[in-house]
Formats: sequence, C-alpha cells, structure tokens
Amino acid sequence: MLLVQVIVGGLLLGAIYALFSSGLTLIWGMMNFINFAHGEFVMLGMYVALLVVVWLGGGPAAFGFAAAFALFVLGVIVYISLIRHVMRGPMLAQILSTFGLALLLRYTAFWIFSANFVSLPQVSLSGTVNVAGILMPVPQLVAGIAAIALTLALHLLLTRTTVGSQLLAVAEDRNAAMLMGIRPDRMQALAWGLAAGSAGIAGALMAMSYPWSPSVGETFGLTAFVVVTLGGFGSVPGAMYAGLIIGLIQALSAYWFGPIYKDIVVYALFAALLWLRPQGLMGKA
Amino acid sequence: MTAAALAVAAILMSTPSAKAAGTVKIGILWPLTGNAAAAGQASKAAAEVAADIVNNKHPELADLPLAATEGLPNQGGAKLELIFVDHQGNPSLAQQLATRLITQDAVHVLLGAYQSSCSFTATAVAERHGIPFMVGDSAALNITGRGFKWVFRSTPIASDYAATYMRFFDDMKKAGKRIASIAVVTENTDYGTSVADSIEAAAKKNNVAVAIRIPYSASSPDVSAQVLQLKEKQPDVVIFISYTSDSILYMKTMKNLDYMPPMVIGDDTGFSDPSFIPAVADIAQGAMNRSAWDIGKPGSTTYKINEMYKAKTGRDLDDTSGRNMQGFLVLADALNRAGSTEPEKIRDALAKTDLKPEQLMMGYNGVKFDDTGQNILASTYLIQLKDKQYQLVWPDKAAAAKLDWPMKGWKQ
Amino acid sequence: MKWSLPALAALLLFYPFILTGPFYWDIGVAFLLAAISASAWNIVGGYAGQVSVGHSMFFGVGAYTPLLFYHLWGLPPVAGVPAGMLVSLVLAVAIGMPTFRLQGHYFSMATIAVAELIRIFVGTWDLVGAAIGLQGPAVGRAWWDLTFRSELPYYYIFLAVLAVVLYTTFEVERSRFGYYLRAIKAGERAARSLGVPVRATKLKALMLSAVFTSVAGSLYSIKTGFIDPESGFGILVSVQMVIIAALGGAGTLFGPLIGALLLVPLQTATNTWFGGGGSGLTYILYGGIIVLLARFEPGGMHEWWQRVAPRLMRRSHAA
Repeated sequence: MLLVQVIVGGLLLGAIYALFSSGLTLIWGMMNFINFAHGEFVMLGMYVALLVVVWLGGGPAAFGFAAAFALFVLGVIVYISLIRHVMRGPMLAQILSTFGLALLLRYTAFWIFSANFVSLPQVSLSGTVNVAGILMPVPQLVAGIAAIALTLALHLLLTRTTVGSQLLAVAEDRNAAMLMGIRPDRMQALAWGLAAGSAGIAGALMAMSYPWSPSVGETFGLTAFVVVTLGGFGSVPGAMYAGLIIGLIQALSAYWFGPIYKDIVVYALFAALLWLRPQGLMGKA
Repeated sequence: MTAAALAVAAILMSTPSAKAAGTVKIGILWPLTGNAAAAGQASKAAAEVAADIVNNKHPELADLPLAATEGLPNQGGAKLELIFVDHQGNPSLAQQLATRLITQDAVHVLLGAYQSSCSFTATAVAERHGIPFMVGDSAALNITGRGFKWVFRSTPIASDYAATYMRFFDDMKKAGKRIASIAVVTENTDYGTSVADSIEAAAKKNNVAVAIRIPYSASSPDVSAQVLQLKEKQPDVVIFISYTSDSILYMKTMKNLDYMPPMVIGDDTGFSDPSFIPAVADIAQGAMNRSAWDIGKPGSTTYKINEMYKAKTGRDLDDTSGRNMQGFLVLADALNRAGSTEPEKIRDALAKTDLKPEQLMMGYNGVKFDDTGQNILASTYLIQLKDKQYQLVWPDKAAAAKLDWPMKGWKQ
Repeated sequence: MKWSLPALAALLLFYPFILTGPFYWDIGVAFLLAAISASAWNIVGGYAGQVSVGHSMFFGVGAYTPLLFYHLWGLPPVAGVPAGMLVSLVLAVAIGMPTFRLQGHYFSMATIAVAELIRIFVGTWDLVGAAIGLQGPAVGRAWWDLTFRSELPYYYIFLAVLAVVLYTTFEVERSRFGYYLRAIKAGERAARSLGVPVRATKLKALMLSAVFTSVAGSLYSIKTGFIDPESGFGILVSVQMVIIAALGGAGTLFGPLIGALLLVPLQTATNTWFGGGGSGLTYILYGGIIVLLARFEPGGMHEWWQRVAPRLMRRSHAA
C-alpha cells in the first residue's frame, strides 16, 4: 500500500529530526536559550561526512563518528567563547549572537564549498530492503534506526548517569546545583557539545541519502524549532516523539496536498503551537 | 609648461574615443555557482570558444558567419570582449547585475541568463535602458511576451517544446504504443511553470490526458512524495522539468522506490547537465531528453566545433551550452551587420536577422525574429540515453539510432 | 552637538552632487532604503525591546501590493502603497495580539515562523505570481509609474521618506508613548505595575513599525520593478533590518542610520572586489560583525561612542 510506504518514509526521516532536535531541546531546557544556528550544525555535520569520505575514504562509522566529534568540539567552543558571555546580556544580544553565528557558519560554508549541491559518493551502504512490499533504501533505514538509537542513548545518558543527572540538575535549578558543588558552566558547555554533536551526526546520517548545499541549514533549523516546540522544551523523549510526528506530517502533507505545501502545514502547526500550547506535549510550562 | 599640460590633457581626453573601434563589450549573465553551476560554467566555456571563433581566423569553419575573419569586419575588425557575471540563479541578483553591466561596465549588448526567472528580470532592465539582450536558452513564454522591443531569443520556447512532445506522442501512438495519460513533474519557478503550462494546454488540444501535475520546490532534498504520487497514478509517460540536482535525485529515488514508468522525458536542463550522465547512467537507461544539438559526422562543422570545445573542457558540447553558443553567434552576426555600437543600430540589425540552417551550428530551421523578438524557426529533436551517451532518435528522418520503448532504466 | 543635525541633513541632501555617477548614487539609494527599514524596525525592536526577526512580512506586503496593483489592474504601482500599509496594519494586529504573549526568545521564534509561513504561502499563490513573482512596468507609461533610468529621483524620494520616519521616531521618543516603550524594554512586569498599558503599547508600536516597514518594501519594489517571495519575505530581509539597527544602536534615533552608513558601503565594497563570490564574503562579514557586536558591544556603535567620546574629549581638552 502506497500510504504505508509514505508513512514509513516519513518516520525514517522523522527519526533524524528527533536526533538533531534532542540537542536543541536540551539547551533550551537548561538555559532558556534558543540556538538559531542549530541547523548550521547539522549542515556542517554533512560536510564533515563528505570530507571524511573524500579525503580518508572512510565508511559510515568513520564519518558518523567524525561528524559527532567535530561538532561536539565546535559546540563547546561556541559556548565558551560566545554563549557564556551573552547569556548575561540584553535579549537583543542573545538573539543576535546565534543569528550572527548562523550567518557566519552558513556563508563560510558557501565560501569554502560553493553553493553547488553535493552528495556523498556511493557509500558501502546501498540497495533496498523489501519488507512486505514496503521498500526501504538501506541508507535511509540504517540512518533512521541509528537516529532513534542515538536519541534513546542521549535520554539514557541524561536520566541514568551521574553526568546526566548533573546536567538535569543545572536545568532544573541552577543555584541549587551550584550549592551541591556542580559547576553550571561546565555542564552547560557539555550540553552545547552534546547538542552540536548530535546535530552533526544527524547531518552525517542524512548525507547518506540526500544531496545538500550550505543552504539546507536554514530549513533544518526551523524544523528543529517545530519539533522542540511540539515535544516540549527540555524534554528529550518529547523531541523523539515530536520528531517522528513531524516527519510523518510532512510526508503525508507532501503526498496528499503536494510537495510544495508540506512546509506550509508544518509551519502553520508551529505557529499554532506557539500561540495555543507553547509547552508542547511533554515540556514544562 | 602650460603647453605640455594642455597637450597631455588633450591626449588624455581623446584616448577614450581612440579605443572605441577596438572592442565591443558583451555582458553575459549566467549561474556560475549554485544549483546550475555546471551548466553555467559549461556555457561560459562555450561562449569563450565562440568568441575565439569570431575574434580569430578560423577558415575551417567557413559555414559559420564571421569564422573566417578576425573580429567584426564591418566594425574595423573590432574584437568581442566578454564580461561574465554570476547571478547564482537568483532573479533579484540577476537584475542588479544587469543594471551594473549597463550603467557601470557600459556593455553594448547582453546575453543570458539560463534560468528563466533570471532572464525574466534581467531583460526588463535591458528594456528600460534600451540595450539589446539576447536570450540564448530560457524557455518561459513570458520573456518575449511582454511587448518588449530590446529582447531577442534565438532558442525555442515552452510552447515549441510542448508541440514537439505532442507530435512525438502522435508518432508513438501510430506505432502502437500506449499513451493514455502523462504526468508532469515540474520545478515551480518561471521555467518549470511555463513549460508545464504549455504542455497542459497542448495536451488538452491533442486529447492526451494529464494524470497529474506535480509542482515542487527545487530546493527540497526529499522527492519521495512526488515519486509515490506518480506510482499511484501510473502514467505512461513522465515529463520532468527540473534542474540538475533534482533530476539526479528523481532517478535515484525512482530506483529506490522501484518505480519505472514506460518512458521518462527530461525537458533538457537538468537532464543535459554534464553531471547527469555520470551520476545516473546505469539506472536511467532509455531516458529521453530534448536537444537541438547533434555532434554530427567527423569533418562536419559541428564536429569541429565540438572538438574545439572538447579541447578546452575535456567534454562534449551539450545542448544548453550549444544553444547559448548559437545565441552568441547570432548576436555577433548582428553586431557585425550593425556596423556600429549604437544600441538602435544593433537592435535593427538583430530584428533583420535572417540566417539559414547551413549557417547555424544548432539544428534550428533558421534564425528569423518575429516582432516579439522570438525566433520563429527554432526547433528541437528528441534524444535518448543509451550507454553513456544521448543519441538522436526522433524525428525519424534525422534519427541516428532506434528508439527503445519502454525504457530499461536499471533493468537489463 | 547642535550643528551636527543640519550638517547631516546637508550631507544627505547634497551627497549625489559630491559623489556623482550611477555607482555612488546606487550606494546612496541602498543606504537610504536600509536606513528606512532599520528605523522602522527600531520602533518596536529597539525602543520597545521586542526583537522581531520576522519583519519581512511587512516589507513583503508593502513590496507586493504596488506591483500587484499594476499586474492586476494596470494602475501605477504607487497607487498600491496605501493598500500595502493597510494590509500591514491589519497583519500587525493579527500577529501582534497572540504573539506578544510570548516572551523573549519565543517571541522572536514566532515572528520567524509567521514570516516563513507567509513566504512559502505566497510562493504557492498564483494570483500574486507564486514562485515567479511580479514585475512592474519595465518602461514607464508616464512619470507617475516612477520608472527612472537614473538613481537620482529615487534618491530624493527615499530621502524624503527617511526624513518622515526619523521625525516620527523623534516625536515618539519625546512623548509619553516613548516613555512607555522604554519602560517596557526595561522590564515588562515593572512597567505594568507602574500602570503602563503594556499590551496596547506594544501593539501600537508594532502597528507603527509595520506601516513604515511596508512603505520601505513599496519603495524597494517600485525602484527595482520586481519582487518574488525570497526578495520580499525572505529571512535575510528581516535579519538585515535587525543587524543594521543593532550595529548603530537599537533604541536610538540615529542608530539605524549609523548602522546603514557602516554596513551598506561595506557590502558594496565586498561585492565589487570579489565579483560573484563577493556576496558570500559579505554575509560572512555580516555574521562576524553581528557576533562581535553581540559579544562585546550589544548597544551598538552608539553605545561605543558614548563610552569613548568623553575620553577623547578629555584628552583633547587636556592637550
């Protein structure tokens, strides 16, 4: 049934949305701060994957790890050099900071890589899996499963480990956490690293199936906002469900109404959420 | 001392006019970066080859006007100077660059701009400033449909292509192939919309049902919805009106979702891009395309031109670049007949253009402009991807290879 | 600084005769347009502190209506300007009422979402040209089509509009309305407790800002004779307004002007030096400048000058 095919495709893409949005929601929940450059982290992850394949001939494991690591480092650097300072400043500065960062990252990518669309040269993963008539290209299947796994891993990290509980403590009550001996600054840097890293690896996973150019960061950023709003700020499980739902809605809209309308549905949903239920499905109000 | 100063001043003031006989400036607007960069760069190389043909002696290409001589004979041997600008596929930028070329670089004529949306805006600037603009390749009807005096187009337009497709379908039906319905998948800017509109109108007149028309935005990376919609409708022919990365993505997605219609026709553009064949040849065998360019037999003028282009770029000349190159040569011919760089004279010379098929490198029936500036003798053939090359398969009288129907795609 | 205002006015008035030719006039017109848009944004974004990053919705409306009037009814584009202002006003109220309930970052995000929504929607709406956009008259039928070959008439028309916007801002600054705006920026809860009608004030500020932004959009489309979803409603349009106002000093009268003065020539310089690749460099610089601004001098050049000027004065007096 074609409809099932649409649904499966939507869920697989939605899984990747879930992955890169989970990092955004973490930052948001911890610091009440929106990273307008988040989409660019995803985009950079895609280019890291490309470079690893082209220069080192690496496979999915290699470029996935490289993207995660490179972006983790970038995230920490961004926090230490920029975010940490503007957080104490006026609202305009906070918003401008990541906006400026987005422009900087996006156009540096244009400068270095040009505006041409690129795709990963044929990787080791190819072919299509056929399950009861539903076709799933292997790269997309692997990406989707990996994305869900990583999102769950992040959730477990936050809820089952010491580091995780320290992160959540800072999110819940910064001062109380400080009194307990937790360094909020370090935790926030870590959060930024995790957020950027998960965005980076999400990008690498997507690069296996889709062509991209430096311009895709903008769309991913907005998608991440929608997912996080629907899922609820600060909730990684929320981001997971919301990512899948948004992927599904997008695929169904494209199929039923036509590809040019799919973004309208998603953004309209976004606007409606912001006005009617800003706390989303699972977030703190 | 004063006399010397006056003399220097006199020389300095006279120098600009002393240079005037030397060059004729052509401003060229193409997408040198962005989604269509490969096409823009290929056309740029083609224009440079054409400039070489005009500016230097090439007696071996004697059929082509201005090849045997050096420069423009009627303008004292003036050479053509090319000024390229990159509009990146952005219509606003194309407009700004056209203005700059006219007001600051003082070009005498303009050529461009590949994407119909960019030609649409850049030509309006030329019209306002009274500078002739030659459109070598954009298909949208509205470019020559605005009552403009300064815009000329050497290439066929959307309605020509639609008519070609309908004639092809008629021939196929007569040969017993089933064409009960077609689908049109189109990018949604000026180009795609114009061709799709023309196809729908022509289909209606020819009793060909259009099962579905799927507009999409060229910038979205996922096309599975479009392919699934096609899979649902099961048309006999799918016509793709798309730029490069989408064309490649469609072929790949169709393979992934195991969907192959009896025939795919690409409306040139993405399907003719130099990167298309290398990327999808193994999964898109038998896909059709349109082209007005045929390399021809060794020793022919077209073959020699292809060799010149190949020496420069390492690749064969493709249809889009060829049409741009033809537009350039038509422009050069008119500049020569004008005998001056005055805009009105150039415009008049363009309007009076009457080139015969033997004087052209493209397969048009000639070049003659109607009063909207459109070449009424422009035409195109249909080609098909076999192995790693497109071969001319229609119309029958020009065909170099047999048409395979249905297409094989990725199957053996 | 009593002499500075007449000097500035004279400079702006005579600029086209000091630096002549299409190249410099083009920069001048670009500067004026940037200054008008940023000053319009400044009213709600700078003075009231409501950082909207979706102002392109008003710019786009103002840009589309004149060309729509021409496209549908053959009227001179100028006739569409009041309609654009009206639609922007209505849009401001419709958007403002639900969105102002959100705070800080969420408000900014909501403005982006709405602007993007409108941009995509316009790209699918055939009546307004869908993704292709609209064109104005290429060659004017009469003077009121405002299709000039030279930049000069545009320069003076834009200058007149800038003067109006600045004067309005000046009056707002001095009025009780302006006091309310500053109170809201300093702290909404405190302002409310002081009796400031917060909701009504924010809405009025947005309405005023929207109308002026709409006019800026109209000026743009009348001059260029073309508009499409990206150039009218694109996010870069919004971001540019914010950056220019912030660079010069958001919430100050001349901040947007200073920002435009710094950024527009910079953009032209990078575009000219690097040709096609230049526009990429421009935005890298934009990005870098904004990041540095946010990090080191959020108050913009105005604040920087406030800090540095006394020291310079002291040094010159001491000498």
